[in-house]
Amino acid sequence: MSLDSRQAVATHDGRADASVAANGDSKGSWGDTEDSYGHSGPVNKPKSPKPENAVTIAVSSRVLFRTETEQKVFEERGVEEYLKYQVEHENEPFAPGPAFPFVKALETVNSQLRELYPDSEELFDIVLVTYNHAHVGVRLINTINYHNLFIERFCMTGGSSPIGYLKAYHTNLYLSADAEKVREALAEGIAAATMFTPEKLIEVSDTQLRVAFDGDAVLFSDESERIFKTHGLDKFFEHEKEHENKLLDHGPLKGFLEALGKLQKKFYEKGHRLDCPIRTYLVTARSAASSGIRALKTLRAWGLETDEALFLAGAPKGPMLEKIRPHIYFDDQMFHVEGAAEMGTIAAHVPYGIAQKHPHKKDSSKSK
Amino acid sequence: MNTDDDVKQKDPSRAVVIAISHDAVFDLKEEQEPKAPAAASGVLNPGPGFPFVKAVQRVNEKLVEKNPNETLLFDVILLSSKDRPKSQSEVANSIKHYGLEITRLCFCNNENFTSVLRSNKVKLFLSTNTDYITKAQDTGVPAALLYGQRGTATLDQLRVLFIGDSLGFSEDTTDRPKDEDTGEDQLQSVQLTQSSLEDLVALIGEMRRKFGRENSPLCACLMTVCSPRNVCVRALKRLRAWGLEVDEAFCLAGAPQSRLLAHIQPHILYDHGLQYTLDVPALS
Repeated sequence: MSLDSRQAVATHDGRADASVAANGDSKGSWGDTEDSYGHSGPVNKPKSPKPENAVTIAVSSRVLFRTETEQKVFEERGVEEYLKYQVEHENEPFAPGPAFPFVKALETVNSQLRELYPDSEELFDIVLVTYNHAHVGVRLINTINYHNLFIERFCMTGGSSPIGYLKAYHTNLYLSADAEKVREALAEGIAAATMFTPEKLIEVSDTQLRVAFDGDAVLFSDESERIFKTHGLDKFFEHEKEHENKLLDHGPLKGFLEALGKLQKKFYEKGHRLDCPIRTYLVTARSAASSGIRALKTLRAWGLETDEALFLAGAPKGPMLEKIRPHIYFDDQMFHVEGAAEMGTIAAHVPYGIAQKHPHKKDSSKSK
Repeated sequence: MNTDDDVKQKDPSRAVVIAISHDAVFDLKEEQEPKAPAAASGVLNPGPGFPFVKAVQRVNEKLVEKNPNETLLFDVILLSSKDRPKSQSEVANSIKHYGLEITRLCFCNNENFTSVLRSNKVKLFLSTNTDYITKAQDTGVPAALLYGQRGTATLDQLRVLFIGDSLGFSEDTTDRPKDEDTGEDQLQSVQLTQSSLEDLVALIGEMRRKFGRENSPLCACLMTVCSPRNVCVRALKRLRAWGLEVDEAFCLAGAPQSRLLAHIQPHILYDHGLQYTLDVPALS
């Protein structure tokens, strides 16, 4: 199987034609690479899938790109100056942000899915959803062109809430730098997480998409976490043992794991189980021998699995994540997100459940 | 033509004249059961274009607040059919009843309405009837679709949506999709409307600039329906070149339009040739 990320393109008679390398030597020109659909040009871009068929990932501009300078202008000098600044720097592309490697990895998976299933619309569809004003649109699209990203759909809401648009696009996952918007999305039943720009970024794979999930309050509900927070560790263990065979309720990211699993199966069916370009991980503070059992049983009952399950029994997650190097790691506790980010892991906070009201204290690292 | 003496007439050299059919502003369905009891006797119920008229009024109010001598204002005129005298008085009553800022009532029929548009220097014609819209566009008058389910459109902000798929093509008309009927007449009408569209866009842009980014009573949006992102960017730049910086932009690249439109809730939808608004639900 080819390892370099190429966008396979179907020509009119259905044969796959290799086109320009996804991150080719020449950074894309400012001008247009082609006109509308259906016109033959040097590059025939594949058509975007219908939202109901695809796994739609909505990313905001602040996580896809690095916009700290511009943010500062906005905070210090207000919206008019900010927009002026953006327009003045319209032809300067933004640098990649924390969600960038994740988006690139999604595209790699897409190109391989297209090779195996040229007629299928079961692909990732990345949509830029920003509450920026459309003034910034030109610079954002110029940047997308510059980095050769396959993002054809965008939504610039000019200051109003993007949540309604997320629903209109059948969004499966929303990534933003704004915790408030993420909370709103979660409240509407859309999987969402807040991303932060880490100090350093360790290298991640460019051939395999790796997604890591915390268990409680991410894949599962926060019910067990509540017991732990209210009654302590011993009560937690007792409770989990008693209810070992009772399924945990689902958490906000369960649906996204499910969507990944469906795509994984498509690779398995074509004989790519061992070298599947999607790999998922459960990274939980639960213990393998005790409380972890309920987690595994629940996943199994849901018909879901992760490729690897790491039961840390309370040990810090940072070193483990550093080994895994996921393109994104979801956790409901800022303590873990920060710990991971310190070691260069791209971590995203899911502001869901009891942990938001009772943040983890740094000195109490207990095993679960 | 009737002028309403209570409503101040606008400066004809600067006013942005918008013509709207009276049966879009008011509910005139006499043949069927009335949908709701009449507001008062002799007064009609609001129709799909009603929120538009109210929103335009608010823009004018805000413009005058900033500058009491402002001449760049919207000037809404109603087109009314000659054939129904009873409804004419009902329309006049209703205008008074709802306090609508409508300066003129023009009578015409299906055949001569385009010349009425021209003689009144109409810059934009609005209707829920796609045939009338196309007819107006063919004679070089920009025309747009009144969008919206009754009762859901906002009255606080005038929202104008431009469909940018044809705006984003380059000047060379050989760029256009081959399946479009590109007869000579069609090309001419596109070019004719193009310059009036430019004028209209420039005026809207000028109005928009009088307000800040937030809390503006006027909001301009751009949407491309089936074109890739670069077409959307070209459309953004073209509108900008004509004098309008849009507030919101959406590139659908083939995603279904109606759900998004239902969320955007524009009052009016400008799409030349109505080629890209097949998804829009019927209004009346």
